[in-house]
Amino acid sequence: MELSQLVLDGLILAGDAAHVNDKGFSVLVTRAFDGLIDDRHKNLIAKDPSFRGEDQAVVKEVYAALVTLVAEAAKHDLDTSSISSLLEECKFNNERIETFNKIYTAKKQLVQILLSGVGTTPRHIVDVDWRLDYYIKNNHLEKVNEAVYLVSLKTEVSESPGLKEVQFSCTQEQLQDLVGKLKDACKCLEKISQS
Amino acid sequence: MLLMFDDKHKNHLSFLLDIDIAVLQEFCKISLEFIKKGANPKVYQGAAQKLSVPAETVQNGVEGLMYLLTESSKLMISEIDFQDSILTLGFREDMQRELLALYLTHRREVRAILSEMAMDVPHYHNLEWRLDVQLASRALQRQITPIVTMKLQTKDGEDMMSHVLQTDPVNLVHLTKVLDEALQEIKSPYCRRIFRNIK
Repeated sequence: MELSQLVLDGLILAGDAAHVNDKGFSVLVTRAFDGLIDDRHKNLIAKDPSFRGEDQAVVKEVYAALVTLVAEAAKHDLDTSSISSLLEECKFNNERIETFNKIYTAKKQLVQILLSGVGTTPRHIVDVDWRLDYYIKNNHLEKVNEAVYLVSLKTEVSESPGLKEVQFSCTQEQLQDLVGKLKDACKCLEKISQS
Repeated sequence: MLLMFDDKHKNHLSFLLDIDIAVLQEFCKISLEFIKKGANPKVYQGAAQKLSVPAETVQNGVEGLMYLLTESSKLMISEIDFQDSILTLGFREDMQRELLALYLTHRREVRAILSEMAMDVPHYHNLEWRLDVQLASRALQRQITPIVTMKLQTKDGEDMMSHVLQTDPVNLVHLTKVLDEALQEIKSPYCRRIFRNIK
C-alpha cells in the first residue's frame, strides 16, 4: 500500500500531540470511520465542539489523512501489525496506535462491505414477485385457456438508489425450465461450499 | 354455439352455392392460402376470367370463406355446431362436407395464426448462468465474493432481448424457492378447480 506525501504529512500531524490532543485524536479517528460508513456523518467533524478554537486547517488535513488511511487499509485488507509499523513511521505513540487499531478491527468489515459495493456490476437480483393468470381469450381468439405467469425480478443497480424491475411472462413449461436451471445453479453452489 | 351470419356475408357466400365442387375446393385452397400469407388480388382476376364473373364476386366469395374459417376457428366451435351453422347458408351436402373437412383440418393452424396477432408481453426465452468468485476490485482487494451471473433472454414478438443480471447465493436460493412455490401453486386444488370450470 502506498500513501501520498500529503497523506503522510497529515498522519504525522495526527500523531503529534502538539497539534492534536489525545481526546481530539480519538474523536477524529471515530469520525473518520463513521464518515466513511455513513454518508450522513460525512461532515460532522465541521460542527464538532471538541475542535472549537483549534486550527481548522490542521483538523481538516488530519481528518482527510485519516479517512484516506482507513479506506486504503480496508481496501488492502491490512492487518494491525502492518498498520502499527506504518503509524510508527508517522511518529505515533503506542497509545494512539492502539486506539486506531481497536476501532479499525471493529469497523474494518463494515468499511469493506461498503467498498465491495463500489464499482459497476450487472443488475443484482434481490427479490422476485410473481403472479399466476389464466389467459381466457383475446380479441382475435377465444378459448385460449392457458396458464400464464408474470414474473418480476427486483434488481439493484450499482450506485443508484431504489429497485429496478425486469418483467417477463412465461408459460408453465417455461417457468419449469427456469426453475430447473436455477436449481442446478443452487446445487452447484452447494457442492462447492461443501468441498 | 352457432355462428351468426349477417345478410352481407350471406350474400357474398351465395355465389358459391351454384358452383362446381372442384371450384369450391379451389376457393377453399385460395382462402386458406390468403389467411396464411395475405391476400393476392391477382388471383381474383384470373379466377374471374375463367368463371366469367366479375372479379369482385370472386373476391367476395374468397373473403366470405376466409371470414367463415377464421370466425369458426376463433370461437373453436364444435363439429356439430359448424355443420348446423352452415346449414342455414344453403350449401349442397357435398359442399357442406368439404367445408367441414376444411375447418377440421385447418382450425389448429388458423388458431396459431390468430394467436400470433394477439398482444403479448415479453416472454421468457432462455436463461444461462455461470458461477464466478470475485477476487478483487479497484475499491476492494482480496475478497472472495461468490456471484452467480445470469443472462436472461426474453422475446417480445420477434425481438429478442438479453438482460445480464447477477445475484448472490442467498438471493439465488430465495429466488429459486419463490419461483418453485409459483410452480407448485398451479397444481393446487384451487387452481385446478378454476381451470376445470372455465370452459
